[in-house]
Amino acid sequence: MRRALLLLMMAAGIALIVWAGWQNQRQRRSATQAQQERRVDLIPNNAGSAASYAYTDQSPLRGKQAPAFTLLDLNGRKVSLSDFKGRPLVVNFWGTYCAPCKIEMPWLEEFSRKYAADGFQVVGVTYDSEVGRDTIDRDAQQLGVTYPILLSTPKAEKDYLSGTDALPMSFYVDRTGKVIEVTAGLGSKEQLESMVKETIAAGGR
Amino acid sequence: MKKPRLIQTRRAPLIATLALFTATTAQLGSAQLGMDAPATPKSTILYSAQPQTVPAGRQADLELRFQVLQGFHVNSHTPNSQLLIPTTLSLQPADGVKAGAPVYPAGKPYSFPFDLGDKLDVYAGSFIVRLPVVATEGVHTLDATLRYQACDNASCYPPRTLPIKIVFTAK
Repeated sequence: MRRALLLLMMAAGIALIVWAGWQNQRQRRSATQAQQERRVDLIPNNAGSAASYAYTDQSPLRGKQAPAFTLLDLNGRKVSLSDFKGRPLVVNFWGTYCAPCKIEMPWLEEFSRKYAADGFQVVGVTYDSEVGRDTIDRDAQQLGVTYPILLSTPKAEKDYLSGTDALPMSFYVDRTGKVIEVTAGLGSKEQLESMVKETIAAGGR
Repeated sequence: MKKPRLIQTRRAPLIATLALFTATTAQLGSAQLGMDAPATPKSTILYSAQPQTVPAGRQADLELRFQVLQGFHVNSHTPNSQLLIPTTLSLQPADGVKAGAPVYPAGKPYSFPFDLGDKLDVYAGSFIVRLPVVATEGVHTLDATLRYQACDNASCYPPRTLPIKIVFTAK
């Protein structure tokens, strides 16, 4: 009798574990599905086998607090994420070799001016800092960029890029410091502006 | 006889449940893997080495065949902007081989979606770099590197270097 009871308890325990696992899996599946439904492919006819994705929310940073950083700008001054506390922000990773980055950077400049009254700020982080400040400065000037351009570090890349080396990569950070969207690759100017607006609207005032 | 049977009946559901649990866990793992960012290939250009023969002591061209992976493109040797990194072949000196300047093919025009500016000049698919050489009789191996910078239709990847060995016979 005691054995039967023990057996029953064991079976119940195992059944509970299996049920919990199954429930967990169901939740994950529905979360993944919801995420995929939210995902917007902005590049028309995005065919081919390349790892090409214009916009993604697959970054583990999405929905989390933006990792703190202190990086040097082109004048050698230290700039920290905390310097922009309370402001809606786009942290844009770019590279001097990256043609699509250079298409969207003038748009970011335009929006940083257009939404300045909302406190909106763009921060550029140069992925290929090793090319030197002169080259980075030349490119930024040619693109008409006046927002801060910072030099990346391995730590900042580890914290933000999670191993990917595709550029451009943008992190939309609301006033509370939360990453509300992560995009990889070049999208349209209209989509970029709508995400800027979303970032300004998110996190309250 | 009774005891082993009991163990059997006790173990059977346990084993079945454990198997099911393991399968469920494995599925969870794969679901998580599916959420990772797409992997970028380490090299977006392949070099197809082919045996080549040139006349000894006379100038002849070696054909170096490269293949850019589908969906990617690389800047040509003469991209339309000084800000972009050109595809460039560099050679190590080798005994018995005098190599001239590589001759690069013309690129193809390319525009990123949403770009209203000038078209870029790129290699996509296969392309051939010709290398003029004068070599002494025998089998030669040239060590070379191809530096390139690749993009797909939305993103760009850091400059990379592809080491290659060019093996040819002069006779």
